[in-house]
Amino acid sequence: MVDQPEMFTALMSVWTAGPMLSIALTLGAFIAAQWLFTRLKRPLWMPPVMIAALMLAAVIALTGLGFDRYEQGARWLTILLGPATVALGVPLYQQVHHIRALWLPILVTLPVAASLAAAYALGIAWLMGATPEVLASLAPKSVTAPIAMGITEELGGSVSLTLGGLLITGVLASLFVDWCSKWLKITDDRIIGFALGLNGHAIGTARAFEISHTAGAFASLGMGLTGVFTALFLPLAFLLF
Amino acid sequence: MVILRGFLVLVVFFLLGEAIRVLAGLPISGGVLGMVMATLTLMVRGRVSNELAAASQGLISVLVLLITPGVVGVFFIADQFSGHWTTVVVALVIGTLLSVFTTLLLMKKVAGSGEEGNSRG
Repeated sequence: MVDQPEMFTALMSVWTAGPMLSIALTLGAFIAAQWLFTRLKRPLWMPPVMIAALMLAAVIALTGLGFDRYEQGARWLTILLGPATVALGVPLYQQVHHIRALWLPILVTLPVAASLAAAYALGIAWLMGATPEVLASLAPKSVTAPIAMGITEELGGSVSLTLGGLLITGVLASLFVDWCSKWLKITDDRIIGFALGLNGHAIGTARAFEISHTAGAFASLGMGLTGVFTALFLPLAFLLF
Repeated sequence: MVILRGFLVLVVFFLLGEAIRVLAGLPISGGVLGMVMATLTLMVRGRVSNELAAASQGLISVLVLLITPGVVGVFFIADQFSGHWTTVVVALVIGTLLSVFTTLLLMKKVAGSGEEGNSRG
């Protein structure tokens, strides 16, 4: 009979020869996180992606699989982010007619607000002495994940740091839009939705759909337009500085 | 089969986006360029085919699955950015509060004045 540790090592080397172990772990964590999220009554501060990532991190650390080996296999999944980004064009097209309803506020707000969403955080981080890599990772903080990952790669930042920043931003934006709209006495669901999508990407958009369908539609629009605007102008702006 | 045809359209747009990125030397990811081209194409055609709608819905519904491996990485880069975490958190909290406030204020001012103009003018 073979030693248990030896058997474990042999098993690991077979399983990590291809990407299937990473794929199985990621799929399992994704499904378990969706289930847990519903059971916990959809907490705003704990989106499913955070639950899934925590579970995976624990498994990777405890089994000795290691992040590098996990990531190599998981690349078979992340490679699909390219076509998935293209897929975002379909809902964006389906929301475009909303622009007609509020075209002036959208036209005025979008370039200013989307630029400021990046500029405020970058300015603060720069004043606090952040390295160029940290700045490049924080720049797309209000952009939906697949687009943001592309921006960070173009700017030379850390994709993982960007995704961490995105999570924090999305959760914060949902809370802050709630507070600020009450304080500013804004009751128009279209404005609240647009602000949620513009600042809080997919997490803010999910929150907007809980408010109303109109808020959700305008959040999708705000998220899509911010993503396109930031992806087109941020790398060019970075070249100038 | 239906979904596969839509998936092929998405992959072709992605490849076109990558081609433009390299040929034009743009610092913009191929996925975003592909998305912009796909949106413009749809606006010109004025409708979405069932294949494309099905494929894009399928991919969007598993977006969380696709970004999860990247998020897991956050827990393994903690050391690499040690000493930067205060900066990151402060920048995100204050930056997001300011940008949410500005967005709402701008929208309120512009939308409000527009509606007043319509109803009273």
